[in-house]
Formats: sequence, C-alpha cells, structure tokens
Amino acid sequence: MKTQELVTIIPWTFIAQILNLFIQIYFIKRFLFKPVHEILQKRQEKADAELKSARQAREEAETMKSEYESSMASARQEAAGIIDRAEKDAESRADKMIREAEAQAAAMKAKAESDIQQEKKKALNEVKDQIGGLVMDIAGKVVEKEISEEDHARLISEFIENAEVAS
Amino acid sequence: MNLDISGAKIFFQIPTGIPVLGDIIISETLVVSWIVMAIITGLCYFLTRDLKVENIGKRQAVAEMLVESVENLVRSNTGGTKFDWLIPFVAAVFSTSLVSNLISLTGLRSPTTDLSTEAAWASMVFVMITANKIKAGGILGYLKGFTTPIFVMTPFNILSEIATPVSMACRHFGNILSGVVINGLIYASLAVASSALFGLLPGLLGSVLSNIPILSVGLPAVLSVYFDWFTGVMQAFIFTMLTIMYIANAAEG
Repeated sequence: MKTQELVTIIPWTFIAQILNLFIQIYFIKRFLFKPVHEILQKRQEKADAELKSARQAREEAETMKSEYESSMASARQEAAGIIDRAEKDAESRADKMIREAEAQAAAMKAKAESDIQQEKKKALNEVKDQIGGLVMDIAGKVVEKEISEEDHARLISEFIENAEVAS
Repeated sequence: MNLDISGAKIFFQIPTGIPVLGDIIISETLVVSWIVMAIITGLCYFLTRDLKVENIGKRQAVAEMLVESVENLVRSNTGGTKFDWLIPFVAAVFSTSLVSNLISLTGLRSPTTDLSTEAAWASMVFVMITANKIKAGGILGYLKGFTTPIFVMTPFNILSEIATPVSMACRHFGNILSGVVINGLIYASLAVASSALFGLLPGLLGSVLSNIPILSVGLPAVLSVYFDWFTGVMQAFIFTMLTIMYIANAAEG
C-alpha cells in the first residue's frame, strides 16, 4: 500500500481537516454545550423560583402572624369589653334590686303605719262609743235615782276605771 | 532489520486534475479523523442523555464539569465573557487533539502525525488572530502594527506573524511524530536485541525464542506513558492554551 511523505501538507487533507474541525465544533455545540447550558439554565430558573416562593411564603407567614396578633388583640379587647359590660350590668341590676327592695320596704312600712293609724282610730272610736255608752248609763242611773255624794265619787272612779280598762 | 518510518497510508486517490490542490487522497489521517470525530460526538451524546435538574447522575456531572472547565479555562485566561464565542472552538480543538493523540494507543495511526492536520488547525487560529487584530485596530492599524517600533522591523514583524501558526503546527506535529518514531525505534531495537540475546541459547530453543521479541514486553509500555500519554495530553493542552492566548492578545491590540 502506498504511503504519503512523512512530513508533507496535502491540500485536500488540509481543507478536509478544516471542515472536520468546523463539523466537530458544531457537534460539540449541539450535543454537549446546548443540552448542558439548557439544563443549567433550567436549574438556575428553578432555584430562582424556589427562592422566590420561599420569600413569598415567609411574607405570607408574617402577614398571617400580624393578622393573628391583631385579631388576638381585638379579641382580648372585646373580652375586656364584655367583662366590663357584664360588671356594669350586674352593678346596675344590683342597684335596681336594692332600690326595688327599699321601695318595697318603704311601701310595707307605710302600709303598716297606715294600718296602725287605722287600728288606733278604730280603738279610739270604740272607746268613744263605750264612753258614750257609759255616759248614757250613768246618766240613766242618775236620772233613776238621786245620787249621793258617795255614789257620785264611786261613779266617777268607776268611770275612770272603765276608761282605763278601755284604753 | 529494517525499520520503515513513513507517512500515513493512502487508501485511495481520487484524481481531480486541479493544478495546485492536486488529487484528493483518502488517507489513514482522514479515516482516523472521522473515527476520532465519531468518538467525541458519541461521547458528547452519551454524556448528555436524559439530563436532569435535580439528582444528577455521574454522566451528567462529568458533562457539566467538562463544559464548566472549558468555560473557566477560556474566561480565566481572557478575563471576562468577551471571548465566549471561542469556547466551542477551544473545546473542539482540545478534544480532537487529545483523542487524536491518544488513539495511537489502540494501534491506529493518529491524525496528528500528519502535518496537514496541525497546519489546518493552526491556519484557523491564524485567521482568527488576524481577524481579531483587524477588529481591534482597523485594517490600517493592523498594517501599521507591522512597522513598529521602527520601519526597518517590518520584515521581521511579518516573519514573526507567520511564525506563530507555523510554530504552533510544527510543535504539535513534531512532538507527536517523534513519539511515534521513537516508539518504532524502541520496538525495532528491542526486537533485534532480544533476537540476539536468545540466539545465544543452543539448539532449537534458541532459534525459536530468538524469533519472539520477548524484550519488547514491559519497557515500551513504560515509555508509552511519556511519549503517548504525557506528550499527547501536554501538546493538546499547549495548543489550546496558545490558541486562547494569541487570540486574547490579538483582541487587546
């Protein structure tokens, strides 16, 4: 088999090797650089997206926390308001009850007093009636007979005794 | 014993009749170049199959490491991402040179033992150097650059400009070819030595053993670590580095 010179440049081989190198550049670009760059790009994008979503999640958590805190504060306020109102309510009810009780007691007292007055009047009237009766009796007796001085005295003391008993 | 060191085998010759270019020669150089290209492309394809964003496999890690190391090499030597267009060229030159140099381990004749190959690569580098110089300083600036520092220097400047691709091509070619030549010499001399040594044995034993190059086992393997592996990797790296350096310098003007 023929061989070429050891040290020589064959024009067509020279041209072919240039073309071969260009083809090789294309193949390396197409089969190594392009897919690897694509995957690196994707990884970068994914990392960015994950960072972004993490930041978003943190922001959300913070807003939730502040919301929770504000709602807790408002709830506490509300609770305090409820207790306050309940206390006031209880106080006012107690006041009312006391007032009612006082009014009732006053009414009862007034009624009792009026009862006593009535009873007193009734008793007085009875006494008056009895006295009248007695006067009538005594008058009758005086009219029936002449009254001695002793009788007179006796009658008066009798009357007074009766009056004392009546009162 | 005759040792014949010759150029690449010619498989067939297509006559063209074009005066300067001559016949198209399908030589061992071209065929092995295609094999090299197929190996590199196949490797690229193999490494970048089913790439994933997460939980990457070993293959993908290697592919990403290769891409990143080429990018780092170019970017750290040129300072910045200005020369990113050079990255695929550098990757192609380095991988082709490396696989071509190392393919001689399989017994094939490496395409880099043919000066045509290195001349082709160096011419491309030369074209890029010139294009960058013109881009940086304009055509006039480029031409004016030859007359610095004084006008008398012009022939030397032109010579040094042409010397760049010639030295690049010849350095690579010479190193690889010398490895092939030295390996051939060593194999031949060891065969002679072993034939002489075992020829001393008496009778049939001696005549049988003297035909087997027993001494060829061992020593060439050790030398191959230097002449094939070290030189091969080193020359690929040097050629790549020089390419980056020259082009980066050219663009600086």
